[in-house]
Amino acid sequence: MHPSTLVLRRRTRTLSGPAVVRWALIGAALLFLAVFLLVPLVAVFTFAFQKGWAAYVAAISDPEALAAMRLTLTAAVIAVPLNLVFGLAAAWLIARFRFPGRSLLVTLIDLPFSVSPVIAGLIFVLLFGRQGWLGPWLAERNLQVIFAVPGIVLATVFVTFPFVAREVLPVMQAQGSDEEEAALTLGASGWRTFWRVTLPKVKWGVLYGVILCNARAMGEFGAVSVVSGHVRGITTTLPLHAEILYNEYDFVGAFAVASLLTLLALVTLVVKKYVEWRSVAS
Amino acid sequence: MEVRSWVLPLLLSLAACSKSGGGDAPAPGGAVTLLNVSYDPTRELYEDFNAAFAKHWAAKSGQKVTIKQSHGGSGKQARAVIDGLEADVVTLALAYDVDMLHDKGQLIPANWQTRLPDNSSPYTSTIVFVVRKGNPKGIKDWEDLVKEGVTVITPNPKTSGGARWNYLAAWGHALRKPGGSEATAQAFVENLFRNVPVLDSGARGSTTTFAERGLGDVLIAWENEAFLLTQEVGKDKFEIVVPSVSILAEPPVTVVDKNADKRGTRAVAEAYLQYLYSDEGQELAAKHHYRPRSQAVAAKHASKFPGVSLFTIADVFGGWKKAQAAHFDEGGVFDRIYVPKAR
Amino acid sequence: MSIIVEQVTRRFTSGGSPAVSEVSFQAPRGAITSLLGPSGAGKSTLLRLIAGLEVPDAGRILIDGVDCTSMPVQKRGVGVVFQSYALFRHMTVRENIAFGLDVRGSPRAETDARVDEMLRLVQLEALGGRYPGQLSGGQRQRVAFARALAIRPRVLLLDEPFGALDTRVREELREWLHSLHERTGLTTLLVTHDQQEALEISQHVVVMSEGRVAQAGSPEVIYNRPTSPFVASFIGGASVVRGRVESGRVAMGSLSVDVAASAREGETVQAFVRPHDIKLAKSPGGLVNGHPPTGRVERLKPVGGYVKVLLRLPTGDEVTVEVPRSEFDTLGVAEGDAVRADVRSATVFVGDYAI
Repeated sequence: MHPSTLVLRRRTRTLSGPAVVRWALIGAALLFLAVFLLVPLVAVFTFAFQKGWAAYVAAISDPEALAAMRLTLTAAVIAVPLNLVFGLAAAWLIARFRFPGRSLLVTLIDLPFSVSPVIAGLIFVLLFGRQGWLGPWLAERNLQVIFAVPGIVLATVFVTFPFVAREVLPVMQAQGSDEEEAALTLGASGWRTFWRVTLPKVKWGVLYGVILCNARAMGEFGAVSVVSGHVRGITTTLPLHAEILYNEYDFVGAFAVASLLTLLALVTLVVKKYVEWRSVAS
Repeated sequence: MEVRSWVLPLLLSLAACSKSGGGDAPAPGGAVTLLNVSYDPTRELYEDFNAAFAKHWAAKSGQKVTIKQSHGGSGKQARAVIDGLEADVVTLALAYDVDMLHDKGQLIPANWQTRLPDNSSPYTSTIVFVVRKGNPKGIKDWEDLVKEGVTVITPNPKTSGGARWNYLAAWGHALRKPGGSEATAQAFVENLFRNVPVLDSGARGSTTTFAERGLGDVLIAWENEAFLLTQEVGKDKFEIVVPSVSILAEPPVTVVDKNADKRGTRAVAEAYLQYLYSDEGQELAAKHHYRPRSQAVAAKHASKFPGVSLFTIADVFGGWKKAQAAHFDEGGVFDRIYVPKAR
Repeated sequence: MSIIVEQVTRRFTSGGSPAVSEVSFQAPRGAITSLLGPSGAGKSTLLRLIAGLEVPDAGRILIDGVDCTSMPVQKRGVGVVFQSYALFRHMTVRENIAFGLDVRGSPRAETDARVDEMLRLVQLEALGGRYPGQLSGGQRQRVAFARALAIRPRVLLLDEPFGALDTRVREELREWLHSLHERTGLTTLLVTHDQQEALEISQHVVVMSEGRVAQAGSPEVIYNRPTSPFVASFIGGASVVRGRVESGRVAMGSLSVDVAASAREGETVQAFVRPHDIKLAKSPGGLVNGHPPTGRVERLKPVGGYVKVLLRLPTGDEVTVEVPRSEFDTLGVAEGDAVRADVRSATVFVGDYAI
């Protein structure tokens, strides 16, 4: 036998330990996953279909449910691109430049993560509510932000603020600015450098950030609940609508709506896996 | 940064063309929307009532009216309206919350409660107990709620109207029994809350906690919630226990003048509330387990609503303003006696 | 002169020592000029200042007579090659080379022709369709050269271009750069810490240390006539020995060397002696060729084609001598032996030495 294979065998044996311990640990991990992940997942769909396919379809095609779906999609469709642009700009600024207020910007980006979503919603009420700082100004112009769609969009934008920036920034920092400097020396303007050199390098980070941002935007409850006003069919998103149905003992309906959100989560996971796979392959 | 410069205009244009909670202003002779901001347990009542009123109004005036609903803890809802939720009418759990619309929000006149009959309460309710089928803990009256080993479910008086009625009913009972005083009443309520494991923000939340999550031996609830539980949701799972004495709860309604005038919906809004006093409105109230004001309708449903010795808030506490100030405001009795369970 | 740098200063931290301090030099047109020095000397910073990637705090930079000090990097017409190649990894070799031309809006046909020309120039015709990740280090660097040259720059700036490559490849590319330069005749500025590289291929050398220019001149002058102790010790791996002027010679313990007549008697000096400027001799017994021994052999290190002899002088100084293999064998010296050393030449600096 070749000496090197001998060494290899010895090493793997030392690292793995007795088989019993290994299987016990794996078993414990699987049990944990099953209880906290699989069972709730399965429960959502079980309850949703408890009264059969017809009841399920009725629940998700109810006008209020459809309105909730539209509102959820609207909030996501506005929040995600806004945060994409902002996140990219902020990441590029922080990674490539030194300027006064740089560390403040980094802290601000992380702010939505550290603030409770309910507090975040409250901030908007205090700012834009009738008795808030901007209340009189908005009332004069007959503009409504809180308890209306803009308030919900604002709250969603706020809580999903950091995702793109936080995914892209470390990638940009790790990759260094050599390629961008080379592009500059070849005569490319800053804008052109960003489009043709920077962006393609960070595209997987961007995609990942967008996926996370979208998932959070659609599933956000706390902040949206505070600024929503809970006007059924107008200012309720899918998560809020699920709560309403639950409070009315319409469990099939509540779980049917919840199953839509669960499906979204599963789709997000699949897309994320695909993105990861592609980024490793390329 | 170039990004920020166009965010505010975008936001403003969104706001301008937003479908706000209040709905659209009426086109002349066209369709109109009302927003009814209500408290927690009235969901089922207003679902029915709104359909009935829409039909009535279409027949009467030819105008199509859609009523949007919002439900939540009474205190919370009042605050939302003050903060800008554009309600055309509010149908809340207690007069004090509606008073706030005047005091803090300048949305209604001071004399709002006199504008509609019966102190602007088209229906009343009271506070009863709900226990598990068979009443395993043998709950019969208020004193049983402070016994060792009994868990009580009631919502948070800070946000829920129903919770405040519950609290005052308990206090009123202890005050009015022989040998009762402010001191013994406070001790009673303190012991009661010691038996409460969790406070939900609204009456419906507590009902769900008791019924669905299976927490607690007894739920202190609106009478109409109790009926909903025992007759519709949890048939054969729950029982109502009516205490010997309880409080007369008068949930009031009013038009929110400032909003209704701004949106030009005053006529419809007033008609909407008045319809609650009509025969059809009263029948619907009774159907959904509220005690109707109309003698005729009440007589028809007399067997449904058990007789209870009722005291009013004016009797025992001198009115809502005094009760709120003494008990539920910042630093009031509730703040002093309720210590959240350490986790 | 093609590049003129006048009193350029650049600080990175206010109050700290500047990375580049009042540096002035001139790089002749059409020549390869090296910026040579140890790490931290400020050579890369200086190159980046000339390229326009940094802005000087003081001073002027002129390229082909045009004051570029405040000109943005895009307009300077410089071609830069980085140590890390800095190729665009998501583009093919052709696309990389074409980048600068695309930026200038060059028509497709012209760009293609130029790219072909560049690929021929760097001898990578077959690899146009590959991605940088599929190339070796040496190939990548050649693509970087092609990309920089494609835009017909006025000057070529090379920032330690071969630093990331292994020795064999480095030497090959050094040769290649030499012949490339002969073909293009482009003014080139080469930043390096490798003396061999600088002395071998450049026509002009600027030695830097701690942000300042220590000496500038042709490789020959730098090597043979260093004008400061730093340059003398940095170039050629000299050993430094302290000594005293005695009757027209410098006595460094047991070593001695002739010195210029201008040196005063009794003056203390620093003498820089190159390893191959010392000849060793040995003979058994106390005397060596009739002279007392110079020192003792402390260590012997055979390195390839020669042997490094560490000689310890009685004064305590250590001197490194390099002896060609063949010579060493005839010498027959072993560790611990006493030997005699003759210094053929040394660079001597007069001045106090600190204890």
